[in-house]
Amino acid sequence: MNNELVPQNDPERMVPATSEAPEQRLLFTPPIDIYESEEGLVLVADLPGVTLENLELQVQDNKLTLFGRVNRYVPEGMLGQHEEYGVGDFLRSFILSDEVDHERINAKLNNGVLKVVLPKVERTEPRKINIDEGE
Amino acid sequence: MPVFRWGNAWDAFRDLEREVDRLMGSMNFTPQGVRLGRTFPAVNFYEYEDHFLLTAELPGMTKSDLDLSIAQGVLTLKGDRRADEVSDNNYRRSERYRGQWQRNLNLPDRVIEEGLKAELVNGLLKITLPKAPEVTPRQIPIQEGGE
Repeated sequence: MNNELVPQNDPERMVPATSEAPEQRLLFTPPIDIYESEEGLVLVADLPGVTLENLELQVQDNKLTLFGRVNRYVPEGMLGQHEEYGVGDFLRSFILSDEVDHERINAKLNNGVLKVVLPKVERTEPRKINIDEGE
Repeated sequence: MPVFRWGNAWDAFRDLEREVDRLMGSMNFTPQGVRLGRTFPAVNFYEYEDHFLLTAELPGMTKSDLDLSIAQGVLTLKGDRRADEVSDNNYRRSERYRGQWQRNLNLPDRVIEEGLKAELVNGLLKITLPKAPEVTPRQIPIQEGGE
């Protein structure tokens, strides 16, 4: 299978170190789409509540990691609650193939949706190598 | 992971198998039973002294994609979540919700419908619903039956 982008599910191992007090925070794997376009592969992730300042996107070796912090937005002092979703941070990482041009990766965050474009490396034409006859 | 399989001889059914797997994969087996698909959007509801707070995760939605209404104690949220125009063949992975959605929420208490306030920021919807002042129970006089 041709997997240029392999999502990984390893939230526990990847929590970036923060200087803040060790406060209990929940971590979620955001839903994503990956599709092919003319520009290259496009990765779309749902990160509701994440702002630009709170989003980290990094490529290290062959791994693309996204981490979005969500500040608690529910005031204290509630009398009761009914929760269908948990409020916490978002983390997910992906293995990039050699086909992705790391230098040209670009990303946009809009209304809580992150879109990352992963352009393909431009392949150079194969070069013929002349072979001289020996002796 | 295959969830559902016909016998080996049924090669023609491979597509069907795949479809059924996909369907089964989208089911939630909860203690209350089977729930089809994921509910979109997920909604949280909090009660405070004088108001309720409802929050929902609506990433990628803008004010114009969203329709809110309230009638007779039911709050209705609906909208359309449009995806990028990409042919299905180009998808390598598709986990995000696409399409139209609607949620009807029964409010647990009387609220002042005119006082509702909603904001949508960074894909998070917050609705504040002020509680209506407690109605004092009205005594109903009982008349003694005649004769």
